[in-house]
Parts: sequence; structure tokens; C-alpha cells
Amino acid sequence: MLTKGRGTIVVLPAVVWLAIFFLLPLAFILVVSLGSRDELGRIVLDRPSLDNYRRAFNPDYLPTLVNALRYALLTTVASLLIGYPVAYWISHYGGHRKALLLVLVMLPFWTSYLIRTYAWMIILRDNGVVNGLLRAIGLTSEPIILLNTDFSVVLGMTYGFLPFAILPIYVSIDRLDDNLVAAARDLYASGRSAFLHVTLPLSMPGIIAASLLTFIPAIGDFVTPDLLGGAQQTTIAKVIQERFLDGRDWPFGSALGFILIAVTMVGTLIALRRVRREIVGE
Amino acid sequence: MSDPRDGSRNQVEQALERYLTEQQMTRRELIERIGALGALVALAPIVAACATGAASVAPSVVAPTATPARTTAAASAAPTATPVPTPVPSPESELIVYNWLDYIGEDVIPSFQEKYPVKVKYELFDDIEVAYAKLGKDGSGYDVSFPTSVDIPRFSAAGTIIPLDKSLLPNIANLGAEWKNPGYDPDNTHSVPYVWWTTGVGYDTKKVTDSPTSSKALWDPRYKNHISMLDDYQEAFGLALIQLGYSANTTDTTQMDAALALLKQQKPLLRTYSSDTVGTMVSGDVWIGQIWGSDLYQINQENENISFFIPEEGGVRGSDTAVIYSGAKHPIAAHLFLNHLLDAKVSASNTNTIGYMGPNEAAKPFIDPAILADPAVNPDKAILAKLEELLDLPNAVDQEYLTRWQALKAGG
Amino acid sequence: MNRERNRFLSAYALLVYAFLFAPIVVLIVFSFNDSKRTFVWKGFTTEWYAKLLANDDLLAAVGVTVQVAIVAVIFSTVIGSLLGVGLARLRFRGRGSTETLLLLPMVTPEIVMGLSLLLFFVALFDSRGSFAQLSVAHITFCISFVAVTVRSRAAGMNPHLEEAARDLGASALGAFRYVTLPLIMPGIVAGALLALSLSIDDYVVSTFNAGIGNTTLPLYIYSAIKFGVSPEINAISTIVVAFTALAILFAWRVGTFRGEDRQASEDAEPTAG
Repeated sequence: MLTKGRGTIVVLPAVVWLAIFFLLPLAFILVVSLGSRDELGRIVLDRPSLDNYRRAFNPDYLPTLVNALRYALLTTVASLLIGYPVAYWISHYGGHRKALLLVLVMLPFWTSYLIRTYAWMIILRDNGVVNGLLRAIGLTSEPIILLNTDFSVVLGMTYGFLPFAILPIYVSIDRLDDNLVAAARDLYASGRSAFLHVTLPLSMPGIIAASLLTFIPAIGDFVTPDLLGGAQQTTIAKVIQERFLDGRDWPFGSALGFILIAVTMVGTLIALRRVRREIVGE
Repeated sequence: MSDPRDGSRNQVEQALERYLTEQQMTRRELIERIGALGALVALAPIVAACATGAASVAPSVVAPTATPARTTAAASAAPTATPVPTPVPSPESELIVYNWLDYIGEDVIPSFQEKYPVKVKYELFDDIEVAYAKLGKDGSGYDVSFPTSVDIPRFSAAGTIIPLDKSLLPNIANLGAEWKNPGYDPDNTHSVPYVWWTTGVGYDTKKVTDSPTSSKALWDPRYKNHISMLDDYQEAFGLALIQLGYSANTTDTTQMDAALALLKQQKPLLRTYSSDTVGTMVSGDVWIGQIWGSDLYQINQENENISFFIPEEGGVRGSDTAVIYSGAKHPIAAHLFLNHLLDAKVSASNTNTIGYMGPNEAAKPFIDPAILADPAVNPDKAILAKLEELLDLPNAVDQEYLTRWQALKAGG
Repeated sequence: MNRERNRFLSAYALLVYAFLFAPIVVLIVFSFNDSKRTFVWKGFTTEWYAKLLANDDLLAAVGVTVQVAIVAVIFSTVIGSLLGVGLARLRFRGRGSTETLLLLPMVTPEIVMGLSLLLFFVALFDSRGSFAQLSVAHITFCISFVAVTVRSRAAGMNPHLEEAARDLGASALGAFRYVTLPLIMPGIVAGALLALSLSIDDYVVSTFNAGIGNTTLPLYIYSAIKFGVSPEINAISTIVVAFTALAILFAWRVGTFRGEDRQASEDAEPTAG
């Protein structure tokens, strides 16, 4: 039963913290986005305007936004598809090793992100591990271009977000009562049918969480596409980064950033509401 | 501690006064330090000779340090012993240097710390632009750093860096003639040059066999998917503009559009826009790419098949400088450090380690002859004269370039 | 359970683990590479490990990273778990906007978050970086991830269990402590693990909020980009992985010996999770 009143106290610490250390700083940047930069690169706020936002709605940026969305979507789908079976396996066959197996999933991610990405470069490059193996077996004579492609970007991003998908899905599957599936089987459901109609829907909160934790940060990931992608793989996050740094144009960069935030936020909320209503009935 | 951000110009005198009147209890320390410094000054030639001789990378340097006849060596080995109008104030106990990892000779800091009782904290950044974003008005507590030369005009105009006290920089005499009065900082009032480089084209001689001399080779469809350009809009546009016969620093938007069109033609052939040229060329993914001349030194350490040329159409050169921030809490130590960098042997040690040429004429005898002979790192004067120096562009012009650059990168 | 599917699924899981650890194997192998740049294999050497031990700056960076991570994980797990539970189980005003607030940090580009915090701290505390500032920044971006994870676990919980406990005379706090908390604990632990990963590897936000003397490991590693990533960094990563793996193995061993009895009795009766 949902307990009234107490709810406010429970969420208060988080709300207060985020209000002070997230919303307030964001307000600062919002103010900056209404300003402009002067000759010396300093922010000038005496003539606030929406110019930066007008400039941001430049159709030239659209391909980068599309790229970001495309990669984020592919990464999320791939992470879910790859991650769900693993989460299921850990939950059902892990036994007393469950915790260990889970932590093993996380372990690679306690090394440096940059090193891992460089390692992928070593694996995927023209004279790298994969191409070397293919040549050794005799499958190819010329190297296949794997690095600096859409493939390498999605691969790298999926790799980076896999634990973010596996963990929430696992947490959701694990709490399911085995008896529910047993009951379905007793009622003559096939294994597959039991899975599709019992396990999968009941693990939906986990899937939703996994999607959120993957898709949203993936849109803002600029390092992976930058290092593993090529000339054709620029994303909106990189554009924003460049504006802030190379262009030293904090006002314009901020405006672009806010537009990205707004677009992603609205899209996510709409998707969430629809999914919740249709499937979970929350 | 008084607020160092008042933008006062007399940083050094103020600092000295501040230092002396600060804490009664440090007077004893101060005297001890002056004594120690005095002793060090007397021993400096020997210490410097031992330090640079022992730690020097190039074996050919060891012999010259023992020769007293070298006037430049003697002058640089004891900078504080040469006649200066005012007695050298003793440095603060700490110095905070902000730089890339390894972008400094291996023994530069150890030899500095041996010479002076200063503890050097070496703080790191990975991206000069990120560093700039952090610096704010006065350097945010960092003392010394190495911005690109094109950024000096706006830093000095904004008061982020202080004018240098030349009396503490006697080694500035070591600079080559062309560096005494650079365009970005007349008379080196606010900075001293650190290293310089050229930008050109690197190529794998095994894959690109016809010894190209023109930057048009970067548009050769034979090398599709194995070409790279630097991830830097000034460099990329610079190359295209020069190929078209324009200036790399042009403010003319029609010329910029022409360059953009040229770059757009190239894009489908490109493997990547990357400034990690060492990585891409050593791995073999890129056969021909726009690279900085000094990267060749490091590339060749892993792959000797890579060659370099400066396009016949021309090229650009740039430099990094050393500056002291207006918020620096250790300005005296900072000046002594800058002076140390200008020391002939220290400058040579820098070059020998990181493979970039310094502006230091007096350092040449101590530089590894292989580096001196390398036309990528040290092109001869005739070629140098053809190169354009990258300039600081006005904000509006900058934005014109950046917008086109982002359109180029975004376009399918 | 169907035996064949068990084997197929197990093989698949193994493949995924291989995928996860492939770059790590490469990383470890190249930490022994006899070449300053970790690109081509030149020969075997352990010099990087020796150099590593003498590299004060690198070790200091590891120290800072660990300290910040501990602080960030503790605070963000507590705050985030409360938020997650609250959103999932409790009713209160402004639920919709709280949900939006929860998602906003994840949606914000890192550079916007990093710079905004810098501006905030400069304006209000005149601070351009410090350990406290860095910790605050890390806690801030971790909260959402913990909250989302805990929330999904709490949302799937049978709501009647807590009610039953109350009916049996437990106080609200007692019901929470003895019923809800153990049931959502896996979610909390998962959230904490995610927060740990985020904090250890953070670069963009850290770079703007660390300040002098607080160089974290990612900052150190990224600063090596200009001259190529030295195998010393591979070496430290290998040591981190090895050390963590040993610690986990040890904790698990200890956990299993103690938990084995409990597990046996648990298996004997139906549970809700």
C-alpha cells in the first residue's frame, strides 16, 4: 500500500541535494546560455537574448543529432538483447555464485575507460587482433576495416553500457517467484510460452530501468564515437564539447546543451508514460 | 594571504614584501634559505653540470658540459650568478606547473629542484582547451603553464597572465633571433617561447610509394579509408586554404567556403579526423595523414617507415609558450623556472626527450644531432620562411571557421 | 529446467563474459609490452610495474580516486536508494516532477554538468576545485543511477508484504527494516556497484572540479594522451583489476561459508525473492 505523507520525508534528501547541487548550477548555465562571449572569450551578460537558441536550430546540426540517437538506440537494443540472457542465466543458474558472477560483470569497468577503448582499438584495427586472426586462419588476405566505422562505435558503446543493462535486469528477474513459472508450466504452457508470458512481462521494470540507464547516457557519450568512430561518425555531444572548448563559446554550447536536454527529456518521459500504461499498468 | 587577484602589475615586488612580512617565524627559514641558496649559487655550475650531464638523454651532450670555454654553458649553468641589477629574491617554497604529462624533458624538473629549494607540483591536463576553460581570470591557482602562442594576445589583454620581469630571466638572451620579438607577443613581454613545430604530411613509405610532395596527396582516392586529417579546425582549414593559394589565417568568408568545399570532397575518403597521429600512423590504419612535424620523432621510434614532408604549397607553424598566471602564488619561483627552461642545456634536454625543437639558439650544441638533422622536426631556414604562422583570430572570424568545421563534420 | 537449454545458455553467458574481458586481457598483456607506446608488441618486460611503484603522481592519483569513490558511493547510495524507494512505493505530492528531477542529471551532457558545477562553486564558494567539490560533483551524478536501479527493484516488490508486517504489529520503521530493506537490498547493492563504476571512471566532470592536488586516475591517464598511453597505465589498471578480483573472491569465500547454512534453509521454503 502506498503510504501517504511519509513519502515526502523519504525523498527529501535527494530532492534537496539535487536542487542545490544540480538545479542551481544548471540555472547558472541557463543564464550563461542567454549571454554571449566577448572578444577575449569572456561571458557577457548585459544583453540577454535567445540568439544562441536561434543559432542552435541550425539544420546543419541535425545529422549529428540523428547519429547520436541512432547510436544510442542501437546500443540500447544490443545491450538489452545481449544482457538479458546473461542476467537470466546468473539468476537461475548462478546458485551461490550469483554475487560473484555479478561483480565479475562489473570488474572490467573498474579499469580506465580510456584504456579499455584503446584496447578495442588494438583489437579492431587493420593490423589488430581480429584481422590478425582472420588472416592466420586464411579467411582474408586484406584487412577488413573494422575501426572508425559505425560498427566499432556501436560495439564500443554496447560494451561500455552492458553492465548498466545487466544489473537492473538481473535485479528484476531475481526477485521473481519461481513458483509463478512452475505454475504456468503446470497449466501446460511450454517453456518458451512461460518465459514470454510470465517472466518477461514481470521483469519489465528491470528492462525499463536498463533502457533508461543505457539510452540516456549513450546520447551524451562523445568519447567512444570520437575514439572508435571515424570521420563520418560525429555526434551532437562532440559538437557541444567542441563549442565549449575549441570555440570557447560557453553561451552557445550551453544553448545547444539545453536543447539536447529538453529533447531527450521530453522524448524519455513520453516513452516512459506510454510503456508504463501499456505494459506495467502503473 | 592577500588576494592575488587584484591584477596588480607589481607582482614580484608585492610577492617579495608579502613573503618577508608574512610570518615572523619564517624569518629564520628565510635566512637559512638565502644561505642555502647562496651556497647553491656557488655550487651551481658543478651541480648543473652533474645534473644535466648525468641525466642527459643524448650521450653527445656529456662532453661539452665539462668544457669551461663555452660561454653560453657557463652563463646558463649559473643564472643567478650573472650580474643582475637587483639582488635575486629568494623563491617561494613551492611551484605549481600545469602541463601535459611528459611534455617536458625528463630531468628538467629534477634539475630545477636541485638548483633551488622549490618543490614543484606538476599538475596535468589532457586538452589545452579544457585547461583554458578551467583557468578563469587568473589561472585558478596554477603558477606556470604552456598555452599555445595564438592565445597569448587574448590572455594578456584579459590580464590572465602577468608581464614578465626580465631581470629574473637572464637566459632569455639564449633565444634565437627570430624568437626575440614574435608577432603574437612583441618583445616577449608576457611569455617566453617553449617549443615550436611545423604541420605537414606524414606517410607510410611502404604503402605510399611515389614520394608525394603536394598536400593534394591527401585527396588521392587510392588511399581511401587510410587518410587522416588533424582534429583541429585551424589546421584542417589551414591546409585546405593554403592548397587553394590563400592565407591560412584568412578572414574572407568566400575563401573559407572554398576551403570547406575542398574539405567536403575529401571527407568520404577519410578514415578519421584525429590528433592522435602517432597512434593512427603507427598502427597502420592510416597510410597518409596531416601530422605535426614533431610527432614524426615519436612515430619513427615505433615505425621507421613513416616519412614526412611539408607540402610544396606551403604550411603552417606554431609554437607553445611558457607563461605565469596573474593569480600565481609563487611568482618568483615561476620566473626562476622559466629562466631554467631557457637554459641552453635544459632546453636541449627538453628537445631530446619530447622531440620538439625549442627556440633556444644556445641549446643547439647540446641537442641530439639526429633531431637537428631531422627535416620534420627541424626544417631548414628556407622552408621555415615559407611557412605561415598561425595567428589569433578575432572572435567573429573564429566562429565562422568553427561553424563551417562543424558543418563539415556533421554532414553525411 | 531443460538440460540442453542450460548448456546453450551457459555457453552464451560464457561468450558474453569473454566479450567483457577481451579488452582486459589485451590490457594486461600489453602491460608487459617492451615499448613506450602500447600499440605493437615488442617484447616482454616488467619494467612498467617497477616504474609504477616509483611513480608518486600516479599512485597519488589512485589514492584520490579511491577516496572520492568511497565518499561518492556511500552518499549517493543512501540518498539515491531513498529516492528510488520513495518513488516506487510511496505517494507524495510532486511525484511527476520528482521523476523528472531524477532523470535530468542523466540527460545532461557531462560538460554542461561539469562546467555548471564549476561556475556554481566559483560564484558561491570562490572555489575552483577541491576534494569536497569533487566529491559533491560525483555524488550528484551518481544519485540518479542508484535511484533508477533501486526503484525498479522496489517497484516489483509485493506491496502486501509490508502491509502484512504492519498487521502483525511492526512499526513503519520496523517493517521497512525487516521486510522491505532486505528485499530491495540487491537493488541497492547493484546501484552501489554502478555508482562505484561511474565514479572511478569519471573524467569530464572531474576535470573541472578537481582542482590542484586532486588529480584523479582518469585525469592522469587522459593527460598522457599527447604522448601516448604508457604501459605504466596498463600496469596500474592490471593491478586494480587483480587486487579487486582478489578482494571480491575473498569476500565471497567468507560470505559463502557464513551464508551456506542460511542458503540451505532458504532453499527449503518458498520465498518472494
